[in-house]
Amino acid sequence: MKWQKEDIDQYQGAEEFVDTLLIPLMPITMNSKKDIKKLAFQGDLLNFFANEIEKQFKGRIFLIPTYSYYESNESENEVERLNNWVNQLTKNPFKHVFFLTFDHHWKKDERNLDGNLLWFPAIQTEEIDSKQTQPILKDQITQINELIRSYW
Amino acid sequence: MSEKKQQVSRRQFLNYTLTGVGGFMAAGMLAPMVRFAIDPVLQPASTGDYQAVAQLEDITNEPQRFDWTIDQIDAWYESEVTKSAWVYKDDNDEIIALSPVCKHLGCFVSWAGSDEHPDQFYCPCHDGRYYKDGVNVPGTPPAAALDEFEYKTEDGTLYLGKAKPRGA
Repeated sequence: MKWQKEDIDQYQGAEEFVDTLLIPLMPITMNSKKDIKKLAFQGDLLNFFANEIEKQFKGRIFLIPTYSYYESNESENEVERLNNWVNQLTKNPFKHVFFLTFDHHWKKDERNLDGNLLWFPAIQTEEIDSKQTQPILKDQITQINELIRSYW
Repeated sequence: MSEKKQQVSRRQFLNYTLTGVGGFMAAGMLAPMVRFAIDPVLQPASTGDYQAVAQLEDITNEPQRFDWTIDQIDAWYESEVTKSAWVYKDDNDEIIALSPVCKHLGCFVSWAGSDEHPDQFYCPCHDGRYYKDGVNVPGTPPAAALDEFEYKTEDGTLYLGKAKPRGA
């Protein structure tokens, strides 16, 4: 399910089947030219991953709109804000919460998060849609799907 | 004398011209309206398009998943969409192409996706199951059979069209 009217219509009436939240975490920056490009590409990649996972598990995963934050090294505030988000969302009966991100800063705060962190190193490539990249990404997504299934 | 020369009287001439001009005006107004009215009939059917999906020699009795992309045009918004199908030959060598979208809540099902049921389609979300012919296993969440794609074959290539619900 996605945050769009069509899916919400289906969600209402099937709430008990959709027990998993998927929240993509996307850092943004405007500081250095190099980082802008890198993070923007990781953002593309994150959207692609999130949408593919949602497509496979449409009936059980609710894909929440991307949680975005300004990239910095002070992540404590973000952990608190994100946990607040999750606590609001899990007032509905969601059993599993997954965070999907390519930002390694979350990794060291993993135990403070109210959910399972899925952190992956992003591949470095220019084109998501190219013939060479697609099979690699598809394979990664298949493995993430298996990981999510192991929690159910 | 003069009556024989004047075959069209002034009154007749005026009548003819007025009828002619009026007719053109009426036609000028009606033509676009008629064109608008019958326009849908003249549109080429863009949804019934068939896409090349697989070579016939690759299709076996075991369902395999084939992916292909289509350009989806939604009014002015054009996007590439990946579609998938589970394709196999049944006992009569007829091709069966099933949609992978679970009829329960729309997850992707996979052939032999569960170790306990190696000869069924399995939905990982809520343990929905379908027999090989796409019919849902009673007692599992799905309430209908998997959609089946329309297909045609040409020169050893399989083309798939739209997915149609079963029994409709």
